[in-house]
Amino acid sequence: MTFRTKLFWIFTLTLFLSVGLIAAGVTVVARKAFDESNTEHTDALVQQFKREYDQRGQEVFRRVRGIAEAEATVRMAIDLARPSADPSIYVDDARGVSQSYHLDVMDFVGTNGTIISSAENHAKFGYKMDWLTQQVDGKPIDWVEQGSFLMKIDTQDGPGVALMAVSTVRVGDRDLYIVGGEELGKEFLGSLGLPAGMRALLYLNLDPAFQAANLMDGKGPIDEAQRFAPIIEKEQQDQAELKEDINWTSNPASAEVFHTLPLSGRHNELLAVLLVGSSQREVVILERRILGLAIGVAVAGVLIGLLLSWWGAARVTRPIRKLADAAREVSAGNWNTHVSVKGGGEVGQLARAFNQMTQQLVEQREKLVQAERVAAWREVARRLAHEMKNPLFPLQTTVENLQRAKESHSGQFEEVFRESTSIMLTEIENMKAIVGRFSDFAKMPQPELGTVNLNEVVRNVVKLFEAQFGAVGRPPITPELHLEEELPTIQADPALLHRAVENLVLNAMDAMPAGGVLMMRTTHENGHVDLEVSDTGTGLTPEECDRLFTPYYTTKQHGTGLGLAIVQSVVSDHGGRISVESETGVGTSFHVELPQNPPRKPQVFPMVFEKQDA
Amino acid sequence: MSALDSSTVAANAEEASAKAQIESLIYDHRNADGTFADPGPFRLAEWEPGKHATLAANDDYPGGRPFVDAIEIQMGRGAKERLVDLEVNKIDFAEIPAEQSRRAAERGMRVSASQPDELVALVFVPGRPAAAIGRIREAVADSIDREAIVNFILQKEGEAAGGLLPQWSSGTAFLFSTSRDVQHAKELWSQIAPSPRISLGYDSTDPQEQSIAERVAVNAREAGITMAVEPIPAAASERGKTDARLIRLAMASRLPRTALANLAEVLSPLAGVEDDPLPDPATPEQIYDYEKSMMGSFSVVPIAWVPQVYGLSARVRDWKAPGPGENWPLADVWLDSLGEAGNEKANP
Repeated sequence: MTFRTKLFWIFTLTLFLSVGLIAAGVTVVARKAFDESNTEHTDALVQQFKREYDQRGQEVFRRVRGIAEAEATVRMAIDLARPSADPSIYVDDARGVSQSYHLDVMDFVGTNGTIISSAENHAKFGYKMDWLTQQVDGKPIDWVEQGSFLMKIDTQDGPGVALMAVSTVRVGDRDLYIVGGEELGKEFLGSLGLPAGMRALLYLNLDPAFQAANLMDGKGPIDEAQRFAPIIEKEQQDQAELKEDINWTSNPASAEVFHTLPLSGRHNELLAVLLVGSSQREVVILERRILGLAIGVAVAGVLIGLLLSWWGAARVTRPIRKLADAAREVSAGNWNTHVSVKGGGEVGQLARAFNQMTQQLVEQREKLVQAERVAAWREVARRLAHEMKNPLFPLQTTVENLQRAKESHSGQFEEVFRESTSIMLTEIENMKAIVGRFSDFAKMPQPELGTVNLNEVVRNVVKLFEAQFGAVGRPPITPELHLEEELPTIQADPALLHRAVENLVLNAMDAMPAGGVLMMRTTHENGHVDLEVSDTGTGLTPEECDRLFTPYYTTKQHGTGLGLAIVQSVVSDHGGRISVESETGVGTSFHVELPQNPPRKPQVFPMVFEKQDA
Repeated sequence: MSALDSSTVAANAEEASAKAQIESLIYDHRNADGTFADPGPFRLAEWEPGKHATLAANDDYPGGRPFVDAIEIQMGRGAKERLVDLEVNKIDFAEIPAEQSRRAAERGMRVSASQPDELVALVFVPGRPAAAIGRIREAVADSIDREAIVNFILQKEGEAAGGLLPQWSSGTAFLFSTSRDVQHAKELWSQIAPSPRISLGYDSTDPQEQSIAERVAVNAREAGITMAVEPIPAAASERGKTDARLIRLAMASRLPRTALANLAEVLSPLAGVEDDPLPDPATPEQIYDYEKSMMGSFSVVPIAWVPQVYGLSARVRDWKAPGPGENWPLADVWLDSLGEAGNEKANP
């Protein structure tokens, strides 16, 4: 994976994480805000109900007290206090009074608790309301102190729950009880002002087990009331304010949050439960919108971020890539590679350091070349002196012999002269041969490039030496060729390449005086072809390997030391590299790497850097 | 009935009975084929169905011309409206509900009531599952507090009914118990398993029936009987949808034998009681036995005898509340144009 790709993925991942975290944060914060808002609305409605409940209770109490203080009621009480009182004449009175005072429940009850007239259940006359005459700690109940209270009632339509109050009119030692109340039901719920998305339900706890028919809203019994059974059953156990969710469908928008308010009677018995429901529809829709918006923004941000990441990664990595290309050029031998620097920052410093490095390398190389050149000249001088010394000494001796023979006037002068001139000619020939070889090396031509198949070159060279491999009187050398069939052609000078391969084969043959195996292998990889020439000779020491390509260095008794130097020169002129591996007693391997297209001239890499501020 | 002028009266009555009463005033008697023969004391001057009718005195009536010149009858007025009309002297004569009689009299109104001649009874509807079990019928009969119904709902205008004939007619009504036995009702009901829910119907246009039905249901529930009341529309098709229903049965005659035979004839299809022929003439013992046998199955549960109550203006003279099977004696009524008469509760 390239540095640019890595940078791209880092940017993208960072972007994704950032956008994801922001979206999640926005969603969580929004949900929390909505929940708080819902809770506030619900609490407000519950408080409103409590206020309404208290006000209704006070109002019921006032109305009942108003009935008790009315003249007609007082007259009734006086009449009923008589010994021969006939309560039957008042049997219809409660209905009219209840309508006048807008009470759902209205009973006139005699001093012994017997119903005289009942508005909510007209037929209940003559029956008793024992709870009215009960005593607490031996005293009658103080109904004024009692105020309003919740109570289960028996109406014509069945049982119910009402907000009740009791007042009494006392005549002598007889009481007339006025019992009035307002039934808790759909009318009561309908009078509550409910904001949009909220609803109030009332469950009348008239039976030990949950009864769906007892749950109503402002319009009457509700659908799917059975879903509330767990809430009501929990309320029946705990009698505490609860908060429960109901998911009507799999769609979260259908959910409702219900806040319950238990309503108890005089003896703390649970008589009703108010359920204030808050629909989650608006919240979910709003959340979905926010989420959709966040996703839209995130997608747009991610797309833009991807583009910016790609562009940024490219911009950041472009100078580094060029540095890498330049380094690759340098490694390929093009030491004059230069990276143009524009801008500052770390990458700019790196580019300047790279340029300094290449400049120093060039300088060092020039110095090294200079030193090597001096050393080579010295070596040449030494070799030349050594080579020339051999024929010069016989020449000197021959000339001296010739002079002595002339001075002595010996009759043998003619013979000496012939021998001397013969020797001198021989040595001069030797000197000419020495000079010729030096001349040949000096005259190494510049490669003339053409399309060359290295396998063909190898086969031609091997064919050239076939006779010598198996020559009589010489230990045999077995050639082994491992040539890659699909080896690509290269741009090279075929004559120089033939000469280099020839020298490598000659060198291998010299290394195997006792015979052996000459292995030649061709391969190709990444734009270059490789040639390996191995022998099973005596091998070289590491010191010998280091100096092996130095001109005129030889480990042979009669070598010139120019063979491998020529090979290195040819390889280098083709932009290639040569290396050697050797192990004493095992053999030596030469590795030649030749580019398919050798570089023609040095390359300069322009580099531009942004100025990097701290 | 109100005076339109010094010689004209107007009457306000329920349309159904008004039509019969008008027919009795303009025809003397009905033929066997249902047609009418011989003109009556009045002739029909105006007739607007359901609203009003005007009867003019028939000068040629063989029995003698009526005292009033005309009667204007208004129909479709409710009980409360009739009472108000009477109190403000807008009308001279009106039928009023029995339970309103007492209060009307206390307010100074002149009230005339007949003998209790209308039976309010509970009948179990033949063919209904709950009506088929005798113990259910008996339990319901035992649970009813008849005295409370008469005292409170009927405001003491009437009698608790234990039998099919009133005491004033048969003289044997006291032999039928009117007291309730809640304990026995509970015992009977506990023997029935599973306990059915009994529906009790009443005439949706009759507030008195509604009150009685509700009280019967309260009494039944006290005995553990599950009973619900349901209003029944006037349409005949609705009558068979409840297990039991309240009915009103007017006596056809003062004579106990004729009245009982008529009741048996009416109740036979309503309650499924046997309609064996009653000897004619019949001795009081035979009448009692026949009445007892009809009561034995508890298919008919008598509750109360209710009188017909009329409100009269102060100037109405010679009014006599009609007996069973009799028509309003308006041809004999005359108006005292000079002034007030004291409150009178007619009790012929």
